[in-house]
Amino acid sequence: MPETAQRELTFAQAVREALAEEMRRDTRVCILGEDVAEAGTPFKVLSGLVEEFGTNRVIDTPISEAGFTGVGVGAAMTGMRPVIDIMFGDFLTLTMDQLVNQAAKIHYMSGGKWKVPMVLRTTLGATRRSAAQHSQSLHAWVSHVPGLKVVMPSTPYDAKGLLKTAIRDENPVVFFEDKMMYKLKGPVPAEDYTIPLGVADVKRAGKDITLVATSSMVQVALGAADLLEKIGIAAEVVDPRTMWPLDEQTLIASAKKTSRVIVMDEGYGRYGVTGELASVISEGAFYSLEAPVKRMGAMHVPIPFSPPLEDLTVPTEQTVFEAARALCGKA
Amino acid sequence: MAISVVMPALEMAQETGKLLAWRKKEGEPVVKGEPLLEIETDKAVVEVEAPGDGILAGITAQAGAEIPVGQTIAWLVQPGEAPPVQSGPAAPSARGTSAQERAAVTTAAAAPGPSAAAAPQISPKARRLAQELGIDVSQLRGTGPDGVITAEDVQAAANAKVSPAAAPAEGEKLSQIARLMAERTSQSWTTVPHFFVVRDVDATELRAAHQRLGPAIEKSRGVRVTLTDLLIALVARVLRKHPRVNSMWTGQTIRPNPDVNISVAMAVEDGVVGAVIRKADTLEVGEISAQRRDLTDRARANKLRPADISGGTFTISNLGMYEVDAFTAIITPPQAAILAVGGMADRVVPVDGKPEVRPVMTLTLSSDHRVIDGARAAQFMKDLADALRAPNKSLE
Repeated sequence: MPETAQRELTFAQAVREALAEEMRRDTRVCILGEDVAEAGTPFKVLSGLVEEFGTNRVIDTPISEAGFTGVGVGAAMTGMRPVIDIMFGDFLTLTMDQLVNQAAKIHYMSGGKWKVPMVLRTTLGATRRSAAQHSQSLHAWVSHVPGLKVVMPSTPYDAKGLLKTAIRDENPVVFFEDKMMYKLKGPVPAEDYTIPLGVADVKRAGKDITLVATSSMVQVALGAADLLEKIGIAAEVVDPRTMWPLDEQTLIASAKKTSRVIVMDEGYGRYGVTGELASVISEGAFYSLEAPVKRMGAMHVPIPFSPPLEDLTVPTEQTVFEAARALCGKA
Repeated sequence: MAISVVMPALEMAQETGKLLAWRKKEGEPVVKGEPLLEIETDKAVVEVEAPGDGILAGITAQAGAEIPVGQTIAWLVQPGEAPPVQSGPAAPSARGTSAQERAAVTTAAAAPGPSAAAAPQISPKARRLAQELGIDVSQLRGTGPDGVITAEDVQAAANAKVSPAAAPAEGEKLSQIARLMAERTSQSWTTVPHFFVVRDVDATELRAAHQRLGPAIEKSRGVRVTLTDLLIALVARVLRKHPRVNSMWTGQTIRPNPDVNISVAMAVEDGVVGAVIRKADTLEVGEISAQRRDLTDRARANKLRPADISGGTFTISNLGMYEVDAFTAIITPPQAAILAVGGMADRVVPVDGKPEVRPVMTLTLSSDHRVIDGARAAQFMKDLADALRAPNKSLE
């Protein structure tokens, strides 16, 4: 049906629809978090859910991330499928013990007798003028821990399909949403669909350079690719979509095809996601590379509150364009 | 006392020379001045003469090897004398390594300084491709960022290598000099950003000067003065006022040349060579004529020596005798410019608002835009045109 195929949703609507559909499909699915019920979160992502599913399944918690994440781990172990809402990714720091030492370890340490089918949804991304404690992208922290899956959608379509898969997964999944992307519109089919974890998506095909981009950086990469096209450089944009499991083969295949790679991610450049992805590519495609894999991430500073300064801390279409041009020897 | 035979440096920017052949065998007696070996540089194939008398011994480089300039490649010893053993890790051993490998080792060991840092970098992809295609990467010039050799460069070299072989059997096999010309001009044309400034010059006075100076010089020196000789003298004097046009591009910087050494393009069988008249700005026309005559004769006899073709700072190419009107020439790096001279022909030109018939010639300056910009080239051409219009004043 063409109407269905043409349907467009915002990123926030796609997340909400995924949650609603999964809650209808499986009564064990519930939501816990701050301001998730009547308020529908500060980003209004969850608006309308408490009206449909009630306060027993959409539960407002006290301001106590460590506490309600622990509640989620326990609920998951005892048969529920909780979706924990951590308003800002910066507050992941408070959930670390529950995530890293409990959720990620229990299946292994119980010899497979316990499992933690929990999703922890949270945000990342700067340039919202939210200052240093509300602007970080800390997904590298959890990507570092065996036992956690990490999902980073970049489009409404991916957000819905990946969130449904995450909820159905038997393992703890941390699901990152770029807070600047909630209003981004894109096609989302009305029919039920899921996207498997660990499958990268080539968002744009090209032959001269690969831009590997995660979450918020995918749109930046696509914009840079438009600029590059004007000077005759065909950029391929590859979105890994999940940090773990990681689709190494698609990244390596693209690098082999184009011989030049920039990896960009909104987390800090140092010891970050870009370093891992660049290593995977360098190891897998070394003899096909024309140049070292370039990394572009957030500047190694607390994200400034000053708008002009904040904008300097993250890669932009222009900086990616310049870097790609230099890498292709056309600077 | 043993005399060392070294790979000579014929150009300021030259780093290596290729040994084409030994003219003498190991153990053979050699007299000073005899042709000892044949080498290829960026510009030409030349014979190197024996630096002294002795017996050729201790040859460390074989034909085909690329050798850093200044490296000892053999010795001339007295009867009964053994060639000195070179010290250091660069010493060639009897381990049976190829000459090329030895040369490579020596380069690395002998040049820990800037030249090692300046060694061309090659991308992993290009290195793999070079291995697969059997391309010698030391011969390549990188076009990637910071001069990195890319897979594209390797592929281009492979294509260039394949095409002659793939050519039909009736294709002409290139002589050494023709092959060199093909390589050097392709390299210059594809890597040097050329641009051209064209100017018509009223040659009335130039022709008059030629007619005036010619007989006297022919009488005193026994050489016929050509228009080219006058041009060499005049261009050299104008270059003195335009050090930038007389500069060279080093890859990173612009280096002015202390002397004005005019390289004259000379047609020889199978190609062209640039024979050099040193400090031409200080020489009288008669001296230039004599030197140019000598160079022409030896070029035709294939007897140019390394010194004859090295150190040029600016080239003049004159095709006027073939009655061409104008043409553009390809720069000889690291020089920054070359002047292409068309034929002198009578044309109708306006003089004081009236048509008059005057001898006119068209000059075309090719410039390397990394060194010379349009305004500089134009100013040089203006001063040159002024000098050609008043040759007597310039040659005083």
